[in-house]
Amino acid sequence: MPADRTTPPRFFTRLFERFCKQNLYDELQGDLEEEFYLNLEEFGIARARKLYRREVLKMLRPSVVKKIRNQPTYYNHTAMFRNYSIVAFRNLSRNRLFSAINIIGLAISMAVGLIAITFVSEIYSYDNFHDNRDRLFRVVSNLHRTNGNVTEYATASVFAGNRLANDFAGFEAVAPLTKGFRGEMRKGESSIAIQGIYANNDFFKVLSFQLLAGNSGSALTEPNSVILTETAAQKLFDRSDVVGEIIEWKDQTPYKITGVLKDPPSNSHLKFDAIASLKTLEEKNISTVTDFGVIWASHVYVLLPENYDLQQIQTNLDKLAEEENPKLKYWQLSLGLERFDDIFPSTGKANQFSTVMPKEKVTSIVVLALIVLFSACFNYTNLSLARSLKRSKEIGVRKVVGAGKTHLFLQFIIEAILVAVIAVIISYGLFQLIKPEFLALDFYIQRTTTLDLQPINYLYFFLFAVAIGILAGLFPSLLMTRFKPVNILKGVSVKTSKGVGLRKVLVGIQFALSMGFATLVTMTYKQYKYALNFDLGFTTENILNVEVQSNTPEVLKSQFQAVPEVAGVSSASIMPSTGNSMSNFVKYKNPLDSVTAYTMDIGPDYLTNMGHQLLAGPGFEKEGTGDRAIVNELFLKEIGINKSSEAIGEQISFYNKTWMITGVVKDFHYGTIKNELEPFIFTMGRQDHYYLNVKLKTNDITATMNRLESAWKEVDNVHPFEARFYDDWLQDTYSDMNASLKTFGLLSGVAICISILGLLGMAVYNAESRLKELAIRKVLGATLSSLMLLLSRSFMGIFILSACVAIPLAYYIYEETIVSTAVYKINIGFWELASGALLIVAVALLTISSQTMKAARSNPAESLRNE
Amino acid sequence: MKGSHLGEFQELVLLTIMVLKENAYGVSIKREIKDRADRSISRGALHTALSRLEEKGLIESWQGEANKERGGMRKRYYKVTDTGAAALRAAKELRDSLWNEIPGLSLQYQHHYA
Repeated sequence: MPADRTTPPRFFTRLFERFCKQNLYDELQGDLEEEFYLNLEEFGIARARKLYRREVLKMLRPSVVKKIRNQPTYYNHTAMFRNYSIVAFRNLSRNRLFSAINIIGLAISMAVGLIAITFVSEIYSYDNFHDNRDRLFRVVSNLHRTNGNVTEYATASVFAGNRLANDFAGFEAVAPLTKGFRGEMRKGESSIAIQGIYANNDFFKVLSFQLLAGNSGSALTEPNSVILTETAAQKLFDRSDVVGEIIEWKDQTPYKITGVLKDPPSNSHLKFDAIASLKTLEEKNISTVTDFGVIWASHVYVLLPENYDLQQIQTNLDKLAEEENPKLKYWQLSLGLERFDDIFPSTGKANQFSTVMPKEKVTSIVVLALIVLFSACFNYTNLSLARSLKRSKEIGVRKVVGAGKTHLFLQFIIEAILVAVIAVIISYGLFQLIKPEFLALDFYIQRTTTLDLQPINYLYFFLFAVAIGILAGLFPSLLMTRFKPVNILKGVSVKTSKGVGLRKVLVGIQFALSMGFATLVTMTYKQYKYALNFDLGFTTENILNVEVQSNTPEVLKSQFQAVPEVAGVSSASIMPSTGNSMSNFVKYKNPLDSVTAYTMDIGPDYLTNMGHQLLAGPGFEKEGTGDRAIVNELFLKEIGINKSSEAIGEQISFYNKTWMITGVVKDFHYGTIKNELEPFIFTMGRQDHYYLNVKLKTNDITATMNRLESAWKEVDNVHPFEARFYDDWLQDTYSDMNASLKTFGLLSGVAICISILGLLGMAVYNAESRLKELAIRKVLGATLSSLMLLLSRSFMGIFILSACVAIPLAYYIYEETIVSTAVYKINIGFWELASGALLIVAVALLTISSQTMKAARSNPAESLRNE
Repeated sequence: MKGSHLGEFQELVLLTIMVLKENAYGVSIKREIKDRADRSISRGALHTALSRLEEKGLIESWQGEANKERGGMRKRYYKVTDTGAAALRAAKELRDSLWNEIPGLSLQYQHHYA
């Protein structure tokens, strides 16, 4: 650009303007420019520009450069901040409606934010009580099957741990442990159920669990020694100084208490009631401690020396695996180290010590919270932008009196922060309200988090409020500080056209979010209901499934049958449609051809009790002979029998036995909605039965349950009565869907609230600022409906656009996550897709029209009279 | 008096301002020094010298007119005060007396001076 080429370099001019003292600028800049033009004539453009640049850079000297703190020294910070706060409060109370919208909207979404903060800080506080965490590792195994499949396990065998400790260098201490110290401990009359581990003394060298009594160096040396946690000791003895006492294991083996342990904290991934000495198992010489390949429930934790060499240790692990693998027949193992900090949250290794929060879950919760938070920040930004014109006079006066951009920016940011801080106080209350809901949200959260607030959380909350305030207030503050005082005070209206476009985009995003969540909720809810009401082909209503535990099913059965409300009792090995299954290859006639069929062992009354439809054959006799089978229609089809009556008396073989078909049942769903119908066989007398199916006919559930429980107590006085209605159980089977439903439900509620609040604010503002225009239109003959249309029209476009973005996106997410594994799904039609969006648009229009109605109805004379 | 001590460059600037009479402002001073002493000085360095001199009360300044070449910025003119002139004279006398003490050179010097 030739015009540009004959002027001094723009960048350097602006740079100079930036750093030069105000009072020197005229003189120095004038001189620089004058000289530039002289140089231009003498030396040409390139040299002149070069000289100019050099001159500017040489201006960087103390006598020219602005002081960093250019405010006068008498500037009184406290007074100004106080003034800002006062003005902010006045502003909040002057515009009650807008303040309320801002604060409530922020508070709702910040409650979600608080949950996310507490959740994340709790998840990342896991296991932080261990010393030397930087040197703590866990030995993990990869299991290589002969078919090439590899499974990552979080476990390693006790045997491997012991070999590492004894035969390999490079470890400061190795602590193998194995689960399975489980059952009842007795002391005289009192008894408790224990979930414990077996470990040796090195456990205390590696991990920082505290012994309250006993010697950590010797407590686990002898066989049949046990360390109880404080709680376990209290329950069993009512006191905690119990070292030296003898307690009895369920098989009457005596154990000596050699220590009392402080309870593992709630944020420990290792949780247990007791530690028994590993020596106890070693004496028995069982495979858990003697086999390299038995990795299933054992973990090996290691402490490495200060200057550890991971490469060296990996070489040792490989050497160990190489030495021991030849002993394994069906698979091979490779060992590795996992950092202690990577155990929780983790990325899905099999056989964790306890439930581990998947990392993706943490991420998705944070992302969802952020989405909601942004939505609420938009509200603040939007309303502040819309109302910035009203404050322009204040800005003008402040600027004329001497406020700099920084001052004004600070003032508006402080206002935003103030709103955010008020909001966070309210959201704290909301947080307490939704906390139980969140904790019940899903399996992982239930198992691993408490959401108990630590003192540090309050600091996080405050910082969070400040951050939200800055985020929400940033854009309007920047915009408002740019207003030119001359224009404002002259009364020239300040055009903020940029603001209007932005506002529309923000409202659009908000509504897209609300519609997306609402559509997701609609579809998920329908699918969930569908799954629950899915016709399984048998009755689940009023069936109470009782866990048999260690009792004889027949004894319990006769006990329950004596209860008057019981209509029938049957027994079964496992319960269908709850996620458990067994299958086998079944052969018919042709020994080379086999059909995979699911099987289940039942008692004689099962089919009638559960409402299965017997199509042919006599079914099972009262006393099973153990070689009769009842099959379903699909099985017959698979083996090539067309008429069910033809099947009776045919021989089939599975589980290494020959069976005679004595009945055919109508097809039913053995799996969940994630499974197709499958060939199926009922057997009798093959397996132990773990469940009794008690059919109830009662109006008073509580009384019946009490009666059943006392019937249980007659037979078993030790174990608690464990019973669950079949329908509740089915509901639990779909708990992942239920969790998504609740999550999306909560979020859509929040998102909708926020966007409607924001819309209300915009509508009020719109109607207020166009009051005169409306009055003139009315005087000229516009009808109420045409005015309403006028005011709503600009929003309609936004709604349609957001629906176009949100609905396909929601459908995609639904297909990819909610029903990605389901075989049976609802048909998604117009209403499933559109009802959420339509509902929101309806509410939105109602909101807008409530305001426009007010404006359009007002007497034009009133609004036109005063000017 | 410590404050009236003149640095070499300051003396040069003071003299240049006197030479330029009514037309002493940033650009003209700079150019004059360049022409006479063949010393290329930055405007920034000149500013430092001028502000020091003004602080000491040796020069005074006032705002002048603006013109197009200056992008509408006003000039600042400088003028040596009486104190400044006295300081210059004192400096010169000091040098003269020193020169006079150097035999052999004094003649040449006087000749040149005349």
